[in-house]
Amino acid sequence: MATVIPLSGAQAASSRLPHAASTTLPPRVEEERGPARGRVFEAISRSEAFPSEIHESLLAEPAVVEVRDFRLWYARKQALFDISMRIPRGKLTALVGPSGCGKSTLLRSVNRLNDLVDGVSIEGDMLLNGDSIYGRSVDVIDLRKRIGMVFQKPNPFPMSIFENVVYALRIDGVRDTRVLEEVCERSLRGAGLWDEVKDRLRESALQLSGGQQQRLCIARAIAAEPEVLLLDEPCSALDPIATGRIEDLIEELKGDYSILMVTHNMQQASRTSDFTAFLYLGRLVEYGPTNDIFLKPRLRETEDYVTGRFG
Amino acid sequence: MALETATPPATDPAPAPARRRRTRVSGKGRAWDAIFAGLARGSTVLTLLILAALVAVLFESAVPSIRENGAKFLVSSEWRPNEREVQKRDAAGHLVMEDGEVATETLPAEFGALPVIWGTAASSLLALLFAVPIGFGAALFLVRICKPRLGGPLSFLIEFLAAVPSIAYGMWGLMVLAPLLQDHIEPFLRSVLDVPGLHWLFHETIQVGGESITRVLPLSGRDMLCGGLVLGIMILPIVTAISRDVLRAVPREQIEGSLALGATWWQSSWAMLRYSRAGLLGAVLLGLARAAGETMAVTMVIGNNNQIKASIFAPAQTMSSLLANEFAEATTELHRAALIEIALVLLLMSLAFNISARMLVTGGATKSGGRR
Ligand SMILES: Nc1ncnc2c1ncn2[C@@H]1O[C@H](COP(=O)(O)OP(=O)(O)OP(=O)(O)O)[C@@H](O)[C@H]1O
Ligand SMILES: [Mg+2]
Repeated sequence: MATVIPLSGAQAASSRLPHAASTTLPPRVEEERGPARGRVFEAISRSEAFPSEIHESLLAEPAVVEVRDFRLWYARKQALFDISMRIPRGKLTALVGPSGCGKSTLLRSVNRLNDLVDGVSIEGDMLLNGDSIYGRSVDVIDLRKRIGMVFQKPNPFPMSIFENVVYALRIDGVRDTRVLEEVCERSLRGAGLWDEVKDRLRESALQLSGGQQQRLCIARAIAAEPEVLLLDEPCSALDPIATGRIEDLIEELKGDYSILMVTHNMQQASRTSDFTAFLYLGRLVEYGPTNDIFLKPRLRETEDYVTGRFG
Repeated sequence: MALETATPPATDPAPAPARRRRTRVSGKGRAWDAIFAGLARGSTVLTLLILAALVAVLFESAVPSIRENGAKFLVSSEWRPNEREVQKRDAAGHLVMEDGEVATETLPAEFGALPVIWGTAASSLLALLFAVPIGFGAALFLVRICKPRLGGPLSFLIEFLAAVPSIAYGMWGLMVLAPLLQDHIEPFLRSVLDVPGLHWLFHETIQVGGESITRVLPLSGRDMLCGGLVLGIMILPIVTAISRDVLRAVPREQIEGSLALGATWWQSSWAMLRYSRAGLLGAVLLGLARAAGETMAVTMVIGNNNQIKASIFAPAQTMSSLLANEFAEATTELHRAALIEIALVLLLMSLAFNISARMLVTGGATKSGGRR
């Protein structure tokens, strides 16, 4: 599925969209393409509602997470507007958009980490495999146990590598050493770290390199077999080599896990993800298969963003 | 004063850029830099000199006691500043008669500091037992639960409590806490806890006329428990303030990391405490140093009795309360020297606590800070 697009990431803003790609688009007919160029942003600036452009092929996918009319405010400032989207099961979905558009907010809403922020209020709901996430009777702790999350900066706990990996089981009260060791090995293998650390599981996790720490965090996140894995720019604090390894790893995890990943790196999104959602100023603008979003987006705004013309 | 230690050392300028910057300033600026650097270095050296002088003077004045008592000073539990005449007894404990009269013998003066070392250690530990759980709990509350609007005033209040003169705590302990303990709490505890296995808490064995008898411990309210409680209340502000600062420095990702894995509030709080364990140990040691050195309040409430008793309901004596009680009335040179030796031991002890506390608070913070 990895479509290589001759772009060197969003940073290479000057390189524009390859003309080959834009010329493959059918001749533009305004009605077909939804709002004309600039209309979406104009609508946003007039704070009018507009429908997200969601590609039909998504509707066929079974959803692991379903976002329903979700709105979120930080105190009085609204950060998410009427987001409705289905995150497909067993696929990697990338969230892209300019800084401050609400990608992290949306991601952190899935495991309700935003509950901890003072003054946050929400409307709408999300479903995790059909179960309400924001319903009144939901036990947040149980909910979070079903979701794995990896943060921007590697955040290993100041404990041994082993204890880091089995943390989720420890807080669940699992004592059986055999179970713990089994889970530890399986998770570390899953995160591609086993061979590097198998002889020093009892050593402090803080001694690992940044890239190893991030893979450890991935191992920790998958130890409890989460139903969905949330990644918030998991490579942004890493050097290119470590980034490459994490990207390979994410690609491997893709079949076994449903992944929702925030990224700033268009190349990463286009190379690794199956679906891509473009957010702008708290709105879901366009959402579809990664190939389509990058090669034949329906909205000019999306095209401008993924080609680095703005953002 | 010790509160500064908790400020994270993030402000430490990296040495290299500072030097680079200095080469760029004008000649005049450089001269000022040199002057200020010299002043700063000078005052540091001066502080160290004062400390060294203090130790030297105490040591010199303690020499007669050190020479006379040697190591026995630290292990003997007899504290008899003046020689005393007592009735002579034989091995069986019977009075010895000589010429139809009870014979007497003269016991020489003796200086054993063990009871006060024990008193200081036990009352300080008791204080930690009260102050540490409450202080950590309060710090967690301030950092994790309470809204800034409430947290600001509360923090101010806590820092204010740290500055209340200790005599005020002492008077409160003497006039409020001790009677409360004596009349209500201790009788209640005795009625509940005086069960087989715990009789030692409420009984004591004393020597009467050569016989040892066991009797019920009189509850005075002014005892080890009261001293420990008052000390605990006194060190609570400093333990709370420092652990609050230490916990506030825990990176957000650490807390969210554990929550995202499904940790409960308590489990993620535990992760925070674990993350900052070095700094928290520093807070505990600073509290311990303050408790060990505290004088007035303890002197007023601990009962001032040079004895080593297992029960916390028995009066005791600490190093500093012994100094406060006896120093003005010490008549012999040896007595004075022995008291000064106690002061020396106390000084060295709190120095050790303080230094290790500082190393833990700052060292712990740099370790975590360096990982960012
Ligand atoms: N804790 C908060 N309190 C108030 N406002 C917040 C908070 N967190 C985020 N915001 C605001 O919400 C909006 C969305 O933020 P968010 O962090 O989700 O953006 P993002 O897309 O992840 O940006 P980036 O790519 O820079 O990480 C921003 O305008 C931000 O200022
Ligand atoms: Mg973000």
